[in-house]
Amino acid sequence: MDTCIEKIRAIGADLLAKGTVEKVIGFADGSIPMATRPMALTSDKDVDKLVFNSVCGLNLANYVSKNSLSNKEGKIAVVAKGCDARNLVTHIVENQISREQIYIIGVPCTGMVDKRKIAALFDDEITGFEEHGDTLTITSASKTETVKKADVLRHNCRVCTHRNPPVYDVMAGDPVEEQTLDHPYEDVDQIAAMDLDARWAYFENLTKNCIRCYACRNACPLCYCPTCFVDESSPQWVGKGQNEIDVTTFHFLRAFHCAGRCTDCGACVEACPMGINVRDFTRKLNKDALELFGWEAGLVLDKRPPLDAYSPNDPNDFIK
Amino acid sequence: MTENNIKIVAFLCNWCSYGAADLAGVSRMQYPADVRAIRIPCTGRLSPKFILSALREGCDAVWVSG
Amino acid sequence: MMGNLLEHMGVDRDRIHFSWISSAEATKFVDVVKEISEKVRALGPNKKFVKDYNK
Repeated sequence: MDTCIEKIRAIGADLLAKGTVEKVIGFADGSIPMATRPMALTSDKDVDKLVFNSVCGLNLANYVSKNSLSNKEGKIAVVAKGCDARNLVTHIVENQISREQIYIIGVPCTGMVDKRKIAALFDDEITGFEEHGDTLTITSASKTETVKKADVLRHNCRVCTHRNPPVYDVMAGDPVEEQTLDHPYEDVDQIAAMDLDARWAYFENLTKNCIRCYACRNACPLCYCPTCFVDESSPQWVGKGQNEIDVTTFHFLRAFHCAGRCTDCGACVEACPMGINVRDFTRKLNKDALELFGWEAGLVLDKRPPLDAYSPNDPNDFIK
Repeated sequence: MTENNIKIVAFLCNWCSYGAADLAGVSRMQYPADVRAIRIPCTGRLSPKFILSALREGCDAVWVSG
Repeated sequence: MMGNLLEHMGVDRDRIHFSWISSAEATKFVDVVKEISEKVRALGPNKKFVKDYNK
């Protein structure tokens, strides 16, 4: 992945210099180690600011929306991992953007690391992070740790089966090998094995630390509604406080709004300041979308999502 | 809500089930009185929010019928 | 799918019902009401997903 960045920069500089695109959206270094931030470049002189490493956990499709493109700007290029590209496809399928408006710089991705797992190895603040191939070197004031990247991958990257972008204009590197999994939905099945009360307790425990900051919603490229249901005040569908039922309602509906659209990019979990694995909700829906409709979001441009289209073959055994 | 006084919120489509409920009424058919009917213009008008709202306000079950 | 997720979260499947009844099917309406009513009675009162406004 270290070599990709040179190519991303070269492609970005070329696109901007030729005027093919007006902006390049990519990752740049953040202000602390192990943090990257999204960045929009308008000049080819700035391309050296672009980075791509194992801590680019956010989803850049989030920064390309109807609003950001509405004023007839030129094309926008987006540095897209497998999941980002799938979310761009979802945007196109849902008529948020048109295919002509974006230029996808596809990046083959070998996964992002779980920052909380790394932080757990240290007692003090991390001051340095370096990546060489599959090895990560992390330093703090007291010690230096070397870990294999595969050991600290995020869960959604461990179970990712679409590491290469399904749709792209140019690839910044050779495609990586896709994973094949024996039990892709092991986590969902584990919850499903519990009885009803245990499941309810599990989810109540899961969301008990939620502070309702809505970072999961804001990080999600699918959440582009002008007014989110949690912000609606007449009628007010869900209370704004810490009441556990309000919290559960929020998480349930947030997840359900992503049904058949979620690409399991993990940006929601990445953004959560409390370390809540909100993917426990969306994973179940992804599993159902796959099992009931044979659907995985964001792979093709010419098919409607399952909850958006009718087919005589749709499962209907739940209807009396 | 006690065991023998349950509340079922029924979202009935104006053109289908609401008509059926009306017909059941004028035909003097007997059926349990646990159902509280809410008429909606079409089941397509129903949002998942409605179902959650009904549960949140303390109903025992939700029935959606087109 | 919504029913599935509710069940996944621990809400009884029999608390949410879907049906399709034509406006001429008064007898089917009555049958479905009876069936749902029986099932929900068997479950008893709902305790999950209910907001307690006194809290």
